[in-house]
Order: sequence, then C-alpha cells, then structure tokens
Amino acid sequence: MNPRWRAWLIAALAGAVLIAALYFPVLRKRVRQQARSAEQSEEQARRELAQEAAANASAPRVKAKLFWAANPDDSSLAPVMVDLPLSDDPVLRAKQVLNTLLAGPVDTDLRTLPPDAELLAFYLLPDGTGIADFSETLATSMPSGIQSEQLAVDSIVQTLAANVPQIRRLKILVHGQEVDTLAGHVDLLEPFPVNTKTAPAPFAPAKPAAVQTPPTTAPAPASANPQAAPPAKP
Amino acid sequence: MVVLDPAHGGTDPGARGAGGLRESEIVLDLAAQVRRALESQGFQVMQTRSGNDNPSFDDRSSIANAQHGAVFITLHIASTGIPGTVRTYAMSDLAAPAATDGLIPWEFAQAPYLELSRKLGNEVQGQLALQFKGSPNNVQLAAVRQLRTTAAPAIAVEISSVLIQDRADLDRMMPGVADAIARGVAVFRPYYVTPVSPGGQP
Repeated sequence: MNPRWRAWLIAALAGAVLIAALYFPVLRKRVRQQARSAEQSEEQARRELAQEAAANASAPRVKAKLFWAANPDDSSLAPVMVDLPLSDDPVLRAKQVLNTLLAGPVDTDLRTLPPDAELLAFYLLPDGTGIADFSETLATSMPSGIQSEQLAVDSIVQTLAANVPQIRRLKILVHGQEVDTLAGHVDLLEPFPVNTKTAPAPFAPAKPAAVQTPPTTAPAPASANPQAAPPAKP
Repeated sequence: MVVLDPAHGGTDPGARGAGGLRESEIVLDLAAQVRRALESQGFQVMQTRSGNDNPSFDDRSSIANAQHGAVFITLHIASTGIPGTVRTYAMSDLAAPAATDGLIPWEFAQAPYLELSRKLGNEVQGQLALQFKGSPNNVQLAAVRQLRTTAAPAIAVEISSVLIQDRADLDRMMPGVADAIARGVAVFRPYYVTPVSPGGQP
C-alpha cells in the first residue's frame, strides 16, 4: 500500500474518532432528557386531562374546592382550594375536578381514592343525574370497610357538589357496570344526592319549606390570583 | 329479638390484614360474645350465620324483616382507622322512589326506620365511646348496603382494624364491645315503637 495513501487513511480515522468523542456527550444528554420527559408525561397525563377544555377556551383559572382526607386516620374530609382552568360545560367540569381528585393531594396519605383508579367516562342526564364510570381498580384497590368506602364516596360527592351545581345526584358505575357495593359495604345501586338544595330528598325529615335556591353558575369565587395566566398547552 | 349479622364469610373474607387476619373470622367470634351479653340482658338473639358461609345481603336482611319488632346489628372489622376505636353507623338519608301506593320497595325497606336506627346507633355509640378512647361520641351516617334493605332499627358496628399485627389486641376489645352493644340496646328498648304503617301516612 502506498505510504501516502496510508497516512491519509489514518488521518481520516483519527478525525472520525475525534468527531465521535465530541458528539457522544451531546447524544447522552439528549437520551437522558427524553427519559426524564417520558417519566413526567405519565404523571402529568391525568392532570392534563383536567386541562383539555382549556385548549380551545380561554377558561379562566378558578379556585376549585376538592375534598381529600383531613387526616391519615380516614375519619373526615377537608376542603382544599386548587387553581384549575375549569370549563363552563358541566360534563367537562365534572371530569376536570374528578381527575384532579383522583390525581390526589400533595400529601399522599390524605388520598381518598386508590392511586391506580381512573375515571373512564362521565355523563349528565337532563334531570341532573350525573353518571361517573370508574375503572375496576376503584373497587379492587379500595381498602375494604364502611369508613374507607364512605369516605371515598363522600370525597367524590362533595367535590362535585362544590364545583358542578348542575349535578343533583350521582350514580357510580364500575367499568360500565352497575354494582351492588363499592368494596363490600357501601351501596352503589342507588344514586347519591349531590346538590340537595335543588333536589330535596322526600324521605328526609320534613323541614319548614326551604327556599329553593336556583343553581348558581359560578360557585367558585373568581380567580383570586390575577397573575394566573391561561395554562400553556405543552 | 336482636338479629346479629357477622359480616362476610364463605368465599368473601372481608377486610384482610397483612398479618393474615380475616374480618369474616373475627366477626364470628365477636358475634358469639355480643350474643352472650345480649342474652344476659334478657334479649332473644338470632344470627344471620354461625358458620363460615356467606348469605347474600338480601338473605341477611330477610331474617330481620321476617321478625316483628326486631333490631338488626351487623358486625365489621375495618381496614382503616385508629386501632382500638369503634364506630357505629346508621343508614344515611334515602332518596325516595316514585309514588308506591303505601308499599315500600325492598331497596327502601330502611326508610321508615331511619330515625329509630339513629337513636339506637347513638345509644350504642355512646356506650362504646366510654370504653374506647378516640371513638366518636355519636352515630355516623353511611350508605351501608346491608342496612338499606333491613326493615327494622338497624346499625353497623365497625372496629379498627385488621391492620394490627396481633389478633389478641382485637380479642381484648371484644368483651367491651359486646357489653357496650348490650347496654345500648337495653337503653334503646323503651324508645322502640314500631312505625304503624310503614310508607303510609308519615
């Protein structure tokens, strides 16, 4: 082989090695970034569901009132105000607040619903009956007992009552099916009263004729945070 | 007549603790103690099950519904709550069915008894709160499936919890729970007037 030719070959190879050595850290950085964003997107997927309406409407952020456990003993609920871009449409609004409820509070000990439970669908009938269809994990991952099951149902019902005044009662389905109980104790056959002021329960003890308040369209106070910009869609 | 209902059983173990505790077994032992305490107060007692079988919710309710003037108590061990506490539940408000000509649909059998059940629950829970610190002072309301179809003053008593490591901690609570239930039912007795025509005139 011509020595001059060989020198050229070695020089070319050395050049390739140099380029590869320079490019390698850049590649590694990119791979790491992608792995990290995949992790985040899984966790954010549910929260983004709650923002789906915000993409088309410039829905203002309002303080939504969500009910999680007040303490880790599961004995009572406490309201938490969360800034959410809530839709005016009652069905979208119900989905948004329920998905946020499912995503859970900052302190995971205060969850009321299993972390792997999902909302599959939400319907609103003309008579004010809301129908929430949850994944099977709502029942299978639920700690069995009257206290835990009632707390779970209460957190759903009170969260809807506080944010979606159009819902008068709520029927809970599990994977599209009617079920007898949530996890062996709390009855799911009959709907739960949600906004009882607009739908009095006839079996409730008779009270002096209560003034019927029409459902207010905006129960949550207007955004107290003027700087809150409409959320950017990633 | 008091109908005691040890919950779950058969293929349904109920709440299960990490230490292998099964709600269905513990409530059977608890029922035996509650039964003795009630009998010593002069009450007749029936049980919805006395072995490891699992009657349906409706079958269990039927046993009380077939009796005149019965009281129904379903016994549970929770998988949550502060260990060593006990809660009594009565049925929450029932949304009403459409007009029924004085007949009450099976799913609303508890409706005429809501107030009596809450009175009974408060008496029992009052006794329990004296013995088990950290327990609430009053009856709690919940949409308990078993209570809905029961046409009698009906309560659920739930002990916390199956998550304890040693079953002996639950066993030690049983005599106190049994005693409190028997005392509560005895205090309730004079208040128990069967609603005259359930579902008719209020």
